[in-house]
Amino acid sequence: MTTIIGITLKGIFRDRVFQGIMVTACAFVLIPGLATLSMRQVTELSLTLTLSLISFIMLMLSVFLGGTSLWKDIERRYTFSVLGLPLSRQGYLLGRFGGTALFLLLVAVVLGIAAGAVVAFTASVHPPDRPIVWGTVALCILFDVLKYILLIAVAFLISTVSTSFFLPVFGTIATFLAGGVTQQVYEYIHSPASKNLSPIMKQLATGLYYLLPNFSAFDLKVNAIYGLPVPANGLFLTVAYFVVYVGLLLSFSAAIFSRREMR
Amino acid sequence: MNVIDITGLCKQFTGKRMTKVDALKGIDLKIAQGEIFGFLGPNGAGKSTTIKCLMGLIRPTAGTAAIMGEQIGSVASRAKIGFLPENPAFYDYLTAEEYLRFVGKTFKMPEALLTRRADETLKQLELWDARKRPMRGYSKGMVQRVGLAQTMIHDPDLYILDEPMSGLDPIGRALVKDIILDLKKRGKSVFFSTHITDDVEKVCDRVGVIVKGQLEALDSVENIVRQGIEGYMVQTRLSRGNHEALGGFAVARTNETFIEYFVPVAGFNEFMALAGQHSVEVTLVETKRKDLESFFLEIVGKGK
Repeated sequence: MTTIIGITLKGIFRDRVFQGIMVTACAFVLIPGLATLSMRQVTELSLTLTLSLISFIMLMLSVFLGGTSLWKDIERRYTFSVLGLPLSRQGYLLGRFGGTALFLLLVAVVLGIAAGAVVAFTASVHPPDRPIVWGTVALCILFDVLKYILLIAVAFLISTVSTSFFLPVFGTIATFLAGGVTQQVYEYIHSPASKNLSPIMKQLATGLYYLLPNFSAFDLKVNAIYGLPVPANGLFLTVAYFVVYVGLLLSFSAAIFSRREMR
Repeated sequence: MNVIDITGLCKQFTGKRMTKVDALKGIDLKIAQGEIFGFLGPNGAGKSTTIKCLMGLIRPTAGTAAIMGEQIGSVASRAKIGFLPENPAFYDYLTAEEYLRFVGKTFKMPEALLTRRADETLKQLELWDARKRPMRGYSKGMVQRVGLAQTMIHDPDLYILDEPMSGLDPIGRALVKDIILDLKKRGKSVFFSTHITDDVEKVCDRVGVIVKGQLEALDSVENIVRQGIEGYMVQTRLSRGNHEALGGFAVARTNETFIEYFVPVAGFNEFMALAGQHSVEVTLVETKRKDLESFFLEIVGKGK
């Protein structure tokens, strides 16, 4: 599996999609200038923009690398040669996933350092009212990484059943959009405001809430921007949720992929 | 021990609108250690399907198969093989050298051995100069040679090659034939599919012909060639002896110096006796035989 992880990392670093997306990271240099538009909360806006930019880059990477990694191998017939080697299909799939996830983590570290430099510069010019809690900023980026690793797992699951490029990519985007609002929808249907909704609709929404990933639990941006404390038990639950959900997704993916016919 | 043991292998594909296609209809085949086996068949006959079943890329609908005693589809069975898929494609962002190292690592080769074998195979397959270039810039023939190199790097006892000569120029084809013959000398087993009979005739010990998912013929190349003898072309000198005595034999060609007769196998002894009795000088005897291609076409014709 480590050999597959190594090959995956090499492939991503040499991929034009990655290089293109990383050019987007150049937008970091614009952030100190853009943040001054806020006038009063320059550092907070700078932090908001850097964290949003990191999140956006990781979303792009998750969708395009996660959604195309397996599909590309099948489409370009790489699987015929690789799966003819003494590798289990599960090992191959987990290696591809592990490589992509590890890459995302590396990108987050690099972008996190860049973000830190940008925010520190802005803060030195425009000192914020509240001190920047760097630990919370790092935690915010780490949980963002977990969120997008989970999204990569979704992309891999879709790729194991798909024969085209569209389903993994657009399926992943749709899951990301839905996963971002499931918590609000759940809270809405269980509030008095939804009393006019039909019970079937409520049950359907509740079912989807449990089925789809809940990305809002991973969002610590507000805590990072305003230096708010993060409850430890909430973090623990989110990590546990991440481990169980990703474990289930990968188990399903491995089971499906090991039965897939390479015609 | 048989390196490949296939019993009643069947594969049914489900096509569009749930139509069923029987790609393999009960293949029984055994390949012995040290044997070079040519798997012949027209396009769509089931050659690649058989190989994909052996490699665990697809699951057989019925039947069993084992590679060196290991059930097909298992990691253990693949650990004993060098496999070249049809029209191979490899991670094109890697160089040939990187890919060979990757393959060697999956076979858990020690580092020093891997480096030595990678260098040797790159040189043998004439990829040495291109070894540091990404494979996306390689020609089809070069990719095919990388495919062969990755089958050889761990020096397996069994090679399963799907159309190994495909995409190669005459020099490349000759190189591959030499490699296969060299493997034979070293006691390796090779199972390769092709639809080019000339490849089989030159390198194989045994040949199987598959048509529409059924193994229609299975014999040694030697037997096929021997059974294919149709007669002899006998050249005699015109100026010597009484040629009228040989009037019962068909004259194939004549010129001012020689007469050439076509003599069927059954009539060869009689011809030679008559020639001796009537002082006809025989200058050349040439065997006339059906080549493997005729044999192949005959089998395919019957299968249809």
